[in-house]
Amino acid sequence: MSRAMAFLTRRKGGDAWDWTDVFTFIWLGSAVFIMFGPALWLVLSSFKSPAQLSEFPPTLLPYEAQTVAVEGYDRLLPLFSVSDDDGTRTLAEVRRVGTVAQMVDPANPAEVQRINIANRTPVREVGFSWGNYLDPFLRFDFLNYTKNSIFVTGVATLITLLTNSMAAFALSKYEFRGRGFVVVLIIATLMIPLSVILVPLYSIVAGVGLINSLWGVILPTVATPTGVFLLRQYMLTIPDELLEAARMDHASEWQIYWRIVLPLTAPALAVLAIFSVVWRWNDFLWPLIVLSRQEVYTLQVGLNAYAGELNVQWHYLLAMTVITMIPVVLVFIFLQRFITAGIAGTGLK
Amino acid sequence: MTGVKGMLGAVVTAPLGWLARLLDAPLRLWQRVAGQGGMVAFFLLPNMAIFTIFVLLPLVINIAYSMTTGAALFLPDRTYVGMGQYERLLRCTDYTNLMTCQEDQFWIALRNTGTFVVLQVSLLIVAATITALILNRALRALSFWRAVFFFPVLLSPVVVGLIWRWILDRNGVLNAALVGVGMDPVNWLLERNYAFSAAIGVTIWAQLGFFALILLAGLQAIPRDLYEAAEMDGTKPARVFWRITLPLLMPNMLVVIVLALIRAVQVFDEAYVLTGGGPGTATLFLTQYIYEVGFASLLKNPGLAAAASILMGGVLIVLTLLQLALGKRNERKGKLK
Amino acid sequence: MGRIQLHDIRKSFGAIDVLKGIDLTIDEGELVVFVGPSGCGKSTLLRMIAGLDKPTFGRIEIDGTDVTARSAADRGLAMVFQSYALYPHMTVRANMAFGLQNTNMPKAEIDTRIGEAARMLEIEPLLERRPGQLSGGQRQRVAIGRAIVRRPTAFLLDEPLSNLDAELRVSMRAELSALHDRLGATMIHVTHDQVEAMTMADRIVVLRAGKVEQVDTPLNLFNRPANLFVAGFIGAPGMNLWAGQAKGVSVQLDSGALLPLPLGVRVPDGPVTLGIRPQHLRPEVGGPIRAEVRLIEALGPESVVHADMGAGGGLLAVLPGQPDLGRGAVIELGYEPQFVHVFGSDGQRLA
Ligand SMILES: Nc1ncnc2c1ncn2[C@@H]1O[C@H](COP(=O)(O)OP(=O)(O)OP(=O)(O)O)[C@@H](O)[C@H]1O
Ligand SMILES: [Mg+2]
Repeated sequence: MSRAMAFLTRRKGGDAWDWTDVFTFIWLGSAVFIMFGPALWLVLSSFKSPAQLSEFPPTLLPYEAQTVAVEGYDRLLPLFSVSDDDGTRTLAEVRRVGTVAQMVDPANPAEVQRINIANRTPVREVGFSWGNYLDPFLRFDFLNYTKNSIFVTGVATLITLLTNSMAAFALSKYEFRGRGFVVVLIIATLMIPLSVILVPLYSIVAGVGLINSLWGVILPTVATPTGVFLLRQYMLTIPDELLEAARMDHASEWQIYWRIVLPLTAPALAVLAIFSVVWRWNDFLWPLIVLSRQEVYTLQVGLNAYAGELNVQWHYLLAMTVITMIPVVLVFIFLQRFITAGIAGTGLK
Repeated sequence: MTGVKGMLGAVVTAPLGWLARLLDAPLRLWQRVAGQGGMVAFFLLPNMAIFTIFVLLPLVINIAYSMTTGAALFLPDRTYVGMGQYERLLRCTDYTNLMTCQEDQFWIALRNTGTFVVLQVSLLIVAATITALILNRALRALSFWRAVFFFPVLLSPVVVGLIWRWILDRNGVLNAALVGVGMDPVNWLLERNYAFSAAIGVTIWAQLGFFALILLAGLQAIPRDLYEAAEMDGTKPARVFWRITLPLLMPNMLVVIVLALIRAVQVFDEAYVLTGGGPGTATLFLTQYIYEVGFASLLKNPGLAAAASILMGGVLIVLTLLQLALGKRNERKGKLK
Repeated sequence: MGRIQLHDIRKSFGAIDVLKGIDLTIDEGELVVFVGPSGCGKSTLLRMIAGLDKPTFGRIEIDGTDVTARSAADRGLAMVFQSYALYPHMTVRANMAFGLQNTNMPKAEIDTRIGEAARMLEIEPLLERRPGQLSGGQRQRVAIGRAIVRRPTAFLLDEPLSNLDAELRVSMRAELSALHDRLGATMIHVTHDQVEAMTMADRIVVLRAGKVEQVDTPLNLFNRPANLFVAGFIGAPGMNLWAGQAKGVSVQLDSGALLPLPLGVRVPDGPVTLGIRPQHLRPEVGGPIRAEVRLIEALGPESVVHADMGAGGGLLAVLPGQPDLGRGAVIELGYEPQFVHVFGSDGQRLA
């Protein structure tokens, strides 16, 4: 506790409180709230029942109404806490007519009391509506969307790593005519965003018959100039003498690639793999255009379609949003250092 | 750290290695037949083929595409109209009143995007700079604080959009808070100015960590002894910031500004999920315009969309060249060190 | 096995001619050292022999077969690189095994060979380590071990000792020589270091600017350098070289001294350069050389004297012991005439 206090009251140095210290605390304090708050709120909300979600003002935690089995009634009856002239007690509701409810004491089921509903509040306990998570998988297509997303992410990342590293190898370790041109071409297209080539790309993907196919989502994304660029920069630092030693050692060029260069490029490959996973998992605009049939939706497209419905079923939508978030959050928790180092070093995103 | 790296490397290279073993024998043969040139071709082929078909080719035919009209998808089937699509995009009877433009939607999207770029980028840069400066104050638990700001960066735009849609909902938690402190609830996403501000705020929320990180890397590269020297001279903190920190941070700052501009020009995903371009056309941005004209609306006009995307591409190319030039300059500076 | 012949090897990088026609025969079992100033083309020549680069012109034969067009892998040679070029992601054992596996050698045979080499080089305890966990000297041994297991026709070593500290270099030098004797294989060794060249080589090849200046045994190079360049390059400190005019049986130096030529040696009158090694000068009262001492480097057993003969004639002499000379003192020096080298105006040896 004292250490926490010491931390919280640490200042820039000197004894007086500088205005920058105050500002730092305000900035960081609100940052925790603003940055983490929304995601936390999403997670909490995703466990609430539809009735609770429509409450205003909302409660912080998800609650469930308590019910009891009462002798003489087939179904479970909801419990209410009632306080009126007769004092405070807990009763179960049998039926409601207008503003009056017929209620019984679970201990004494025979006697039905009439209570004004203004005098009662439901008895609730913290409880999680797991159904929000299960139903979309069981009843809707979300299992399918998830599978599609995993397929796209996995396959695209593998192809990206393989083709990009091969190209980077050729462009960093061999002298050949036109090499400079290819490198310049790749650098020049580094920043060409998808939105500029949307229309013609669509016609090409349609031309090769990949509309509504996951491959139509995968292929245009895998030849990333960024990946080739990143890997090439890394491979340039591998000494040529190693390759020559391998050549003296009877290694074929292909072996040099996979036994020598690839293992030595592992750190850069890892960075590219992480980014590729995040990119492909999060891709939205291009899948949105290519995929128009429900069976091939990825999670992002599925979520968007779901959110666009006239009657948004927020309880399902929030839960599915959390699920969509999970892989990225895992990547973030375990590989944060890689990512931050990768960004700081290369300006990659 | 190296353990994780090694493990990751193994995970990444293991499947590739398996594939490689299968390929070894045929490739040795190929090397004998075609020599080193043949191997270079082999290594380049997969990537360059995909790159050519799905990046270069679209870039090239986009220009041709923008000079055609009709609903046909494939270029040969389309009708040539020369600069017709550009004329349609750009023609207005009275340039002071966007409603008189033939493609008023395009002009609205253009105006919205312009406003968005100016506001979002300047606010984003200021916030990212402040954040980087604060994180650079030799904080304890730096990696925790970095994580706080960086966390939203990896979230998908759709998730970001939905999170905030839920918070800004009429019955959402933000309004509950407002009511709690005795204010009137606001219809955040259904009033023009609020919706536009929300789009700005949410994209800043999502990108702040990324840009702060690049700036932080720049700050950390400034030698400490410069500050110590300034302190010995009794230089005022504000002066230290303007005369030492900012000039030395400039290379990173310029990169950050250009990257932020490039991204702001293309704004789509988060805003689209958040507001769908509404209310009305209050948050209709260029990319959404291209998407809707090219793919979503009932009266699809891919030629028009292509023309619009080329205009946008022009802006982006300028920005990209700017970035490359700045990168070169930094590189040279780096070498000098 | 292991006779290497080079016929008129030329190499250009673009417009720059790096090798300008090299003819050389290296006999089986010989240890040949390439020396020469930095950038003269030693590494380039070695890489031609290895097959890592192709000559622009010329022919390379190994044991009488033309291998010019063959790839590095098919020449049966092994190379030790200056940086060692050990595969950083493989253990020492895997480093040594890599080349053998590539030739589909049975595993048992590979193990025997690695075992043998490791014993010979005393690196057995290091076999499971990675190069990053080794000291410079250990890495050096592993690099040599990787070459040995291949049982190559010849070893090519490009400055293999230059990354070691002085002490280690001396001991590795001896070990390499011993290894050469034991294996009896042809070795080509590139170095900057004269002492290394002198002590290890059967024959030394002196290169300058892409050309062979002289090929001979170390002592012959020292005793009878074929030209001014070799004379100045071999031996430390460098040979005194003085310009002058030959006149009959003596040479009149530009600095004034008149120095007699060895008995029986006649050179045509005219401009020559006369060379005497600092070690061959000795104090001699009334000797032909008079000079004023500028600096004395006392090394203990001997002293290096820097002196001035006037008119731009500098002089170095290595005198035994610790002569009692001060700055400005005038010394008189003499020499045995048979130690005099005379070079013509074209730089070639006259006598
Ligand atoms: N790939 C190349 N392209 C162009 N010039 C080259 C290349 N490799 C070597 N050179 C040039 O050839 C000349 C000889 O180089 P080389 O490496 O053979 O010298 P070296 O004798 O080994 O020198 P050192 O003792 O410094 O190692 C140098 O001038 C070098 O600049
Ligand atoms: Mg060299």
